[in-house]
Amino acid sequence: MRQRPNVIGGAGALIWLVVVGVPLYFVIATSLRESSDYLQAGPLSIPADISLANYAEVLQSDFVRYFVNNVIVTAACVAIVLALSLPAAYAIVRSPNRSVARVFSILLIGLAVPSQAVIVPVYLLITQLRLYDSLLAVILPTAAFSLPLSVVVLTSGLRDIPRELFEAAHLDGAGPWQAMWSVVLPLSRAGLATVGIFAAMQAWNGFLFPLVLTQSASVRTLTLGLWDLQGQYGLNVPLIMATVMLSVLPLLVVYLVGRRWLLAGLTAGTGK
Amino acid sequence: MAIASRRRSTIGAAVLALLLTTAACGTSGPGETGSEGSSGADLHLWTLQNEGINEVQQAAIDRFNEEHDASLEMTTYVNDPYKSKLQTSIGSPNAPDIFYNWGGGNLEQYVDADQVAPLTEALDENPDVRDAFLPSVLDVGTIDGEVYGVPMQGVQPVSFFYNKDVFAEAGIDEFPATWTEFMDAVDKLKAIDVQPIALAGSQGWTELMYLEYFLDRLGGPEKFQAIVAGEPGAWQDEAVVESMRMVRELVDAGAFGTNYASVNYDNQGSQALLTSGRAAMELMGSWEVTGLNDNFPEFIEAGTLGWADFPAIEGGAGNPDSIVGNPSNFYSVSSQSDDVEAAVEFLMTQMTSDEYVQGMMEVGQVPAIAGLEDQVGEGTFGDFNTYAYEMVRDAPSFTQSWDQALPPDLSQTMLTNIQQVFNGQMTPEEFADAMEQAAQ
Amino acid sequence: MTPARHGSVATAGRPGLVWAAPVLLFFGLFALLPMGAVVYLSLTEYSGIGTPAWLGGDHWARLLDDPIFFDSLWKSAALTALSWLFQTAIALPLGVFIAAPGRSRALLAAIFFMPLLLSGAAIALLWTTLFDPNFGLASVVGPWIGVEDGNFIGSPTLAFYCILLVVSWQFMPFHTLLYQAATRQIPHTLYEAATIDGAGRWRQFRSVTLPQLRDTLITSSVLIVVGSLTYFEVILIITGGGPGTATRILPLHMYLEGFRSFDMGYASALAVVLLALGAALSLLVTRVTGYHRMASQREGL
Repeated sequence: MRQRPNVIGGAGALIWLVVVGVPLYFVIATSLRESSDYLQAGPLSIPADISLANYAEVLQSDFVRYFVNNVIVTAACVAIVLALSLPAAYAIVRSPNRSVARVFSILLIGLAVPSQAVIVPVYLLITQLRLYDSLLAVILPTAAFSLPLSVVVLTSGLRDIPRELFEAAHLDGAGPWQAMWSVVLPLSRAGLATVGIFAAMQAWNGFLFPLVLTQSASVRTLTLGLWDLQGQYGLNVPLIMATVMLSVLPLLVVYLVGRRWLLAGLTAGTGK
Repeated sequence: MAIASRRRSTIGAAVLALLLTTAACGTSGPGETGSEGSSGADLHLWTLQNEGINEVQQAAIDRFNEEHDASLEMTTYVNDPYKSKLQTSIGSPNAPDIFYNWGGGNLEQYVDADQVAPLTEALDENPDVRDAFLPSVLDVGTIDGEVYGVPMQGVQPVSFFYNKDVFAEAGIDEFPATWTEFMDAVDKLKAIDVQPIALAGSQGWTELMYLEYFLDRLGGPEKFQAIVAGEPGAWQDEAVVESMRMVRELVDAGAFGTNYASVNYDNQGSQALLTSGRAAMELMGSWEVTGLNDNFPEFIEAGTLGWADFPAIEGGAGNPDSIVGNPSNFYSVSSQSDDVEAAVEFLMTQMTSDEYVQGMMEVGQVPAIAGLEDQVGEGTFGDFNTYAYEMVRDAPSFTQSWDQALPPDLSQTMLTNIQQVFNGQMTPEEFADAMEQAAQ
Repeated sequence: MTPARHGSVATAGRPGLVWAAPVLLFFGLFALLPMGAVVYLSLTEYSGIGTPAWLGGDHWARLLDDPIFFDSLWKSAALTALSWLFQTAIALPLGVFIAAPGRSRALLAAIFFMPLLLSGAAIALLWTTLFDPNFGLASVVGPWIGVEDGNFIGSPTLAFYCILLVVSWQFMPFHTLLYQAATRQIPHTLYEAATIDGAGRWRQFRSVTLPQLRDTLITSSVLIVVGSLTYFEVILIITGGGPGTATRILPLHMYLEGFRSFDMGYASALAVVLLALGAALSLLVTRVTGYHRMASQREGL
């Protein structure tokens, strides 16, 4: 469908490209600078002496471990969230049981509740469960707080599945478990993708939970690791930017490779 | 429906009660924390992260572990997270055995909660250790006559740092010694289009330093001591209001420029101003020297950095030789530790040992130990260290940074209010009233 | 509340309570239980050390008298509303634009996606440096838009908008992605029919694209509103709630009271307000979006 070029759209995209591109350029450029003059040289200037010293220093530090920890936490959170919320959403949409509806109401109330509000009791709880200073200490509460939204989004998606499909499956002799695999799962890919990304974002960015609930370097996450690069009275900004670049590159690769799959997941319709 | 929800809420209440009582049990009761199969005494020391200093500390720990067959381990944290970390961990099963703190009000809250082991007895048994420390510094680790913390780091007085080249260009021969001369210098600097003072105003503690010195110069250290003691009306003392007025004078005179509220100290925003010559001076703690050396080594190498005392204020009741800053930082022993004795032993044997003190000096710290006049003069920062050491040694009083001396909630309010005075959102009189109210 | 049509169908072949139980238990333990504890803590005096001491309603009395609290409520509300407006106004057209096929669009999409890969702390540190008024981007851009001295995050009025910019920058990729995916899903037949009817691009956007994006708009809006109550590290790192209290939204006020002033009892009272607001917001959102209804909205397409 060829049309004349979308000037307004193009202009808008260009503006946002600048807004996104300039800070990204700054990250890259600064990571290649020596720490001594990064501020005075001007934010947009091209580094006079390009140096990979910062990258070397980051890789020699505990960076890889922090990165792996972050990945573990994120993957575990997403797994828990998806595994728990899909069956629950299925039950909410299909079950006539009043208690199930009540579960939904409870989760609804928890929708916009921020995790920072309950950090102190969570800390006490984690300590009591003897989970302090472990990755689980971060994973469990983080996943818990992503549940309401996940269930709600999945429920709204599942509502669109025509009743007939379930009844047909039931007539074929399928129990609820089989119905979930044959009917629900394929048709909720879009919702699962959305929820998965959102839960991943929450987990990847986690700051307060790792801060309060972990201690040793072995379970430190990337966000806290960034703070490691702060001296007692100052930041080494080029070093931090190098760390940021190193943490983004693997993700970028994953995105480029999985882009089609991601988009396909998000666009999966309900049988159009 | 009503029955189900009532049942849920009783279960909920029961679990809640259970949770909190077990938490409470975990926090009181000495040693009941249940060592999870820790062999011997696995001791933990928590401290702030600082590359150079951490190496010296680790060396001391290694020496101690070898000589005493112990297993002491060090964990480092960055400043802000450390305070929250310590607060929530102290008294819980995850508490450290030895912890870094700022003495004064900061330490006092732990002492009040019975979480700190007293050290006076151990010091009495080791008089050479006790006498090694500079008295004015050890004082800050002493609460109600009992010593709870020993200095483990360098003294950090606050003074003016300035760019000699810029001063020369403005025609200022010597750093001003009186306030009149100072305001004069400000004018001269503005005349050559230089911002007189670099201020990292996005953080309240940098602005606090001005208030600290003004009050000390105008009213002497007793004024702040009254505030610390919680005396009614201490904040509304005329000297306090006058100090804030002088702050406003500086701001209105354009001494700090216009955009100081956006400048951040942590990413060297103010240091960059100083070293690039766009600003002429900065009031800062002694760590500024090592910081500048890390980030702007050419500036230090070229010898462009100058330092000087805060000027005397004519007509002020305070002694111009008095100083403010961080007397030092301290190590204290947790009273809940599994092995208080070993922890105290570490402090007694290592903190004043020659290797430790020497190591500290080599990384640019000026230890709070007596009799170091000759040694501090050596090394890269010899000149500055001698200056700082003598300043501390000869000071009639060394007032601790207010945000460490006061209880946390009061100091938090204070920092916010100071920022508002600097930004013109609050008048000096309103500041005094607000602080007085907050202190009640 | 349960629609009548389910009433008479046999329960065999349908999932039961056991399917939803894990969610409830998990959420109950790690979220509901702490929420209850917070209510309790708000009635105690607790500095984080030792045990909480019963206090009664003092913190609540103080709350009602605390101008910073009311200010923080207002600021949180403003930030939520503006976040929604700003992010939707940009993400929607942008998502539609890059949904069209083409290499250049794909490249743009990849670049726009990048901020999502950065963690909040990284973004905050990045922008703190950009906002330096003497050496950062602020010093370059400031004069162009009338802020001569680059004093953005130090200005009580401008700091708020800076925060808005940064959090929007952070989350925009996600919402753009949602709109992009949804736009791809719109059947070509609708556009073809509209073209045949003689509708131009703008008309098509209004009459075909927007209505089809309604569900996504709802999802995206819910996510923005829900997320806005938790913007936290970014503000903490960039302005710390300042200058003064200019950017101290409620979560930040709670954090500062709890973890800087160590007045955990009062912070818990603030947390309870936050929880209540969150719950009220959830109820509002679900009423407005119809999430609470079980019936499908898209019958017979």
